[in-house]
Amino acid sequence: MDHQLRLLADWISKTALSNWFASQEWVVPTSQSIHIICVAIVFGSVLMISLRLLGVSASGRPVSQVVQTLAPWIYRALIVLLITGTVQTITEPLRQFVTPEFWWKMFMIIIALGLTLWLERKVRNNAAEWDAPDRRPASARLFAVVWLALWIGIIYCGRFIGYVWSFYT
Amino acid sequence: MAFDALIKHFDPLMRSIEDWPVASVIRGDSGWPWWFVNIETVHVLSLATVFGSIIMVDLRLLGIVSRNSKVSKLSAEVLPYTWIAFATAAISGTLMFITKAHIYAHNLNFQLKFLFMFLAGCNMLIFHLGLYRRVLQWDNDLPTPTGARVAGALSILLWVGVIFMGRWIGFTT
Repeated sequence: MDHQLRLLADWISKTALSNWFASQEWVVPTSQSIHIICVAIVFGSVLMISLRLLGVSASGRPVSQVVQTLAPWIYRALIVLLITGTVQTITEPLRQFVTPEFWWKMFMIIIALGLTLWLERKVRNNAAEWDAPDRRPASARLFAVVWLALWIGIIYCGRFIGYVWSFYT
Repeated sequence: MAFDALIKHFDPLMRSIEDWPVASVIRGDSGWPWWFVNIETVHVLSLATVFGSIIMVDLRLLGIVSRNSKVSKLSAEVLPYTWIAFATAAISGTLMFITKAHIYAHNLNFQLKFLFMFLAGCNMLIFHLGLYRRVLQWDNDLPTPTGARVAGALSILLWVGVIFMGRWIGFTT
C-alpha cells in the first residue's frame, strides 16, 4: 500500500497543476490560512454545542436551535477544508500520503462527520427532550465527549503531519 | 527603520528571556523535544475558538446570521468562550514567544499580527463603550445600526489578518 501511495504521490507531483502551486510562494500559506479559518468555524461550533450538552455552559438559546443554526456552517466549512486540503496535498502529495497521522485524520473526519449528521437528525426529531437538561438522554453527554475528542484529535493530527512527515520519507 | 531601532533596544532583554530555564525546556534544548509542538497545538485550538466564536457575533452584527436572536443574548452566550480562549491563546503564545523572543520581535509578520490585534481590541472597546451600551434599544433591529455593522466587518477583517499573519510567522522564522 505504501509503495502504491508513493507512486501516486510521485505522479501527482509531476502534474502541471502541482508544479504551478509549488512555484507560487503564496499558494500553500494562503490555503493553510483559509484552512485554519474553517477549522475555527468548525471547532468553535463543536465546542459550543459540546459544552452545552455537557452542562458546562447553559444559556439563552435552546440546544436544538444552536445545533440547527451551527450544523450547516460546520458542513460548509468542511467543504472548504476539503478544497484547501486538496490544494495542499496536490502541492506536496508525498508529505501527506506517507504520514500515518494524515490517514488517521481522514478516518476520524469521516467518523466525526457521521456523528454530526446523527446529532443533527437526533436533535431535530427529539428537540423537546434534548432542550430540557433534565430530559436529555444520558447518551448526549457521552456523545459530546466523543465528538469533541474526535475533533481535537483531528486538529492534533493535522498539526503533527507538518512535524513528523519527514521521518517517513 | 526607526521602528526596528526601537525593537533593537530591547534585544538584550529578549535574549536574556530566551535563556530562562522554561524557555530552554520548551525549545527542547536537552529534554523532551515536543513541548513546543504541543503548546502550538493548544494555541491553534484556542485561536480557533476565539475566531469561531467572534465570527458568530460579528456576522450577527452584520445581520447575516441568527437574525432572530437578540444581539445582547447571543453576545452573552458566546463572548465568555472568546475571552477564555483568548487568555489560553495568549498564554500559549507567550510560552512559544520566549523560546525565540528576539527573532519573533523582529519578524514583520509578528509585528503586523500584534498591530491587527491591537486594532481589533480598539474596535471592540469603541463598540462596547459606545453603541453596545444601548444595545437593548436596537437588539432586534434589522438592519443593525451602521456602527454595529462597521464594528462587525472590521472585526472579521482584522482577525482574518491576525490568522494570516500568524500563519506566515511560521513560514518566516
